[in-house]
Amino acid sequence: MADDVKMNEIAAPSRRFLEAWYMFASNKAALLGLGLGILIAGVTIFGPMIYPTDPFEMVGAPMSPPGEELLLGTDFLGRDILAGIVYGARTTVLVGFAATFFTLVIGILIGVLAGFYGGWVENLLMRVTEFFQVLPALLLAMVLVALFSPSLYTIIFAIGVVSWTPVARLTRAEFLKIKEREFVMAERAIGATNWSIMWKVMLPNAAPPLIVAATLGVGVAILFEAALSFLGLGDPNAFSWGYMIGASRDFIWDTWWAVTFPGLAIFVTVLSISLIGDGLNDALNPKLRLVK
Amino acid sequence: MRTKLRKWRTTFWLLSCMVLTMGFTSAYAGTPVRGGDLITGYGQFPSHFNHAIQSGAATAVPGCNIFASLVETNTKFEPVPYLAKSWEVSSDGLTYTFHLVENATFHDGKPITSEDVAFSFEIVKANHSFGPSMLGPVDRVETPDKYTAVFKLNNPHPALFMVLSPALLPILPKHVYGDGQPIRKHPANTNPVGSGPFKLAEFKPGDYFILERNPNFFRPGQPYLDRIIGRRIKDPNANFIAMKKGDFHLAMFNGGLRLKQIESLKKEKHIVVTSKGYEAIAPVYFLEFNLRKEMFKDVRVRQAIAYAIDRKFITEKLHSGFSKAATGPLHSSFPWYTDQVNTYALNLEKANQLLDEAGYPKKADGYRFSATIAWYPGEPDSMDTLAAYMKPQLKKVGIDVQLKPPADFVSWYKHVAGWQHDMTMSNIYSWGDPMIGVHRLYLCDNQKHVVWTNTSGYCNKELDAIMAKASVETDFAERKALYAQFQQILTEDLPLIWTHEAPYQTIYHKNLNNVITSVWGAASPADKMYWTDGKMP
Repeated sequence: MADDVKMNEIAAPSRRFLEAWYMFASNKAALLGLGLGILIAGVTIFGPMIYPTDPFEMVGAPMSPPGEELLLGTDFLGRDILAGIVYGARTTVLVGFAATFFTLVIGILIGVLAGFYGGWVENLLMRVTEFFQVLPALLLAMVLVALFSPSLYTIIFAIGVVSWTPVARLTRAEFLKIKEREFVMAERAIGATNWSIMWKVMLPNAAPPLIVAATLGVGVAILFEAALSFLGLGDPNAFSWGYMIGASRDFIWDTWWAVTFPGLAIFVTVLSISLIGDGLNDALNPKLRLVK
Repeated sequence: MRTKLRKWRTTFWLLSCMVLTMGFTSAYAGTPVRGGDLITGYGQFPSHFNHAIQSGAATAVPGCNIFASLVETNTKFEPVPYLAKSWEVSSDGLTYTFHLVENATFHDGKPITSEDVAFSFEIVKANHSFGPSMLGPVDRVETPDKYTAVFKLNNPHPALFMVLSPALLPILPKHVYGDGQPIRKHPANTNPVGSGPFKLAEFKPGDYFILERNPNFFRPGQPYLDRIIGRRIKDPNANFIAMKKGDFHLAMFNGGLRLKQIESLKKEKHIVVTSKGYEAIAPVYFLEFNLRKEMFKDVRVRQAIAYAIDRKFITEKLHSGFSKAATGPLHSSFPWYTDQVNTYALNLEKANQLLDEAGYPKKADGYRFSATIAWYPGEPDSMDTLAAYMKPQLKKVGIDVQLKPPADFVSWYKHVAGWQHDMTMSNIYSWGDPMIGVHRLYLCDNQKHVVWTNTSGYCNKELDAIMAKASVETDFAERKALYAQFQQILTEDLPLIWTHEAPYQTIYHKNLNNVITSVWGAASPADKMYWTDGKMP
């Protein structure tokens, strides 16, 4: 058993990828998630070209129901809901990925340093991490955004600042696990620098759970962006789904469509990302692979 | 227990009334009857009740019920007797002599005398934010006897009667507020001894207040309502539901409701919606340019933006017809208003042409220049919604509008009072007379680091001279002519673009009578208000 695990760990990357894909593809829920993901990516990239209505422009009668003038109706100002969803996808996806990237950068940096060096470095970094963990995430994000005035950059920054802690702990845990492994020892023996061991040897071997965490992180970031926009702290110059819900929430009794469709869009996006994340988790976990 | 008793009492009373008046009901409904409570929601809840030292409707609305004043104002901008039963004005307009009613007492039983009038005048002049503009021309108040107050003026003051109305010059008891404690921190601000039709019974800051009928009010038989209960509204939806169910009876200044919600309330059978009662406060909404910014120094750029904004769309579509397009600096309900001014009907071609002429050609990305719009927080229908409209609308003439929503009032205040804005949306209350509420936006020497002053940085000496003349001109026709010039000059110079007049509505239960009896609307005493048949629903 121990030998098998080791075999998998040092398997050639291409074989590893194929195996993971095979595992992923055999999971129907994951495939559904991937399908939805591709659809959303399509809307994000090509949507505005196919449906070029400006989401800010008041194109129809206010509060016209779906199907009357426009496919998904208009909000209380007469703005096209469909255009909002198409353009909102860009903001949402951009924030989701950029914030996750930011989260990964901080989280991995801190996790790697803490896990690799141990001792007082670990102690210090983990106390800092715990400090951030005990702060209520949404409140801290709101304070940060309000402090630096809402824009896409501050939102990405705020989401990054409040959600890097799990990544840091996960990275550290993985590093602690593989720190004493033979292949790390071997690198040390041939005189590799700490730097190269950290980033070139250990990090790639700690990657699978991080990939899963990152994927799920995109979903969380999207929800954060929606929550901030709903509370009126979104970027006012970028149309987003959360903003649409927040702007129309006073009129929910008269225009259910203005809050329902953006809500569904968020739901579908986050669902797709969660399904992909779960699928990746199964596919990249070597223990599960062996069971099968 | 007490409420139960009250209920029984009311029921009994009502039954006897029904028996007695059977057959006369229609005639009976027209006569004011005592009884019933009024429950009203406040979006902005007062922190105290002394509107002598605090501008703003939140304090003035309950304040006008607690404190009486020398005169009231009717629905035609005319003064009517209140604490002053009669008055004379000298022919040079420099001496106003008021004769007070002799049976008026404060809530603690002490008589209201000319000493109190003189004291209140001093307090308002020194502490109210409009003190200098409202009472600057008044040199002193003399008190030849207990019931005569004489206002001595340095120069004529055409707006004096508006200033003496309940909203602006409440009569405070000298023996309470004049005890040497600093007026701003005086304990009687939250526990007032008043002179008006109602007295404060209970006050829970940030939650509710209860006013009770003053049984010794000097107008016989009045007030008719037993109590006025003010509840703080934390969520507009709560007010919407309470009004719809009839739990709340009156909402002033829209009661925090969105216009679409008011439109929906209007369909209810028991609800009346009126836009009357805001003629004196006369709120005008505008888009202000910061004339210190290079692109807005050119009047053609400002005119182009005026041509690009469709006021009809704003009032009819965005405000569902609840607001009225503004044509200039004065509210159309003001007697000095004129529509003979430069108007800027929607004309995108002309706007584009003016911007080209001003030297801002469209660049490769389709934009001429980029500018930010900030706005006063707290009135989504007039601010956020308009901002959402401006962005795509000004894009049509090649202006890239970057929205800069305020995080809160303080951050907007700092932005605009610091003169950092490109454009901001804002509004002013005109407070009964242009010299009180309107001049402040345009006077050269009123460029201060304070919002609702001349933050646009506009200065026109000719206009300054006109404002100075109008501030001392007592002849109505002469003054009206001066203000016509005032409006013409401003609509040419366009330091601001006046978009619309307040979409404010008063929403009330149909059984409530005499709701609006003055151009001051809710900011006047409710001593004449009564429930049909003296019964709250």
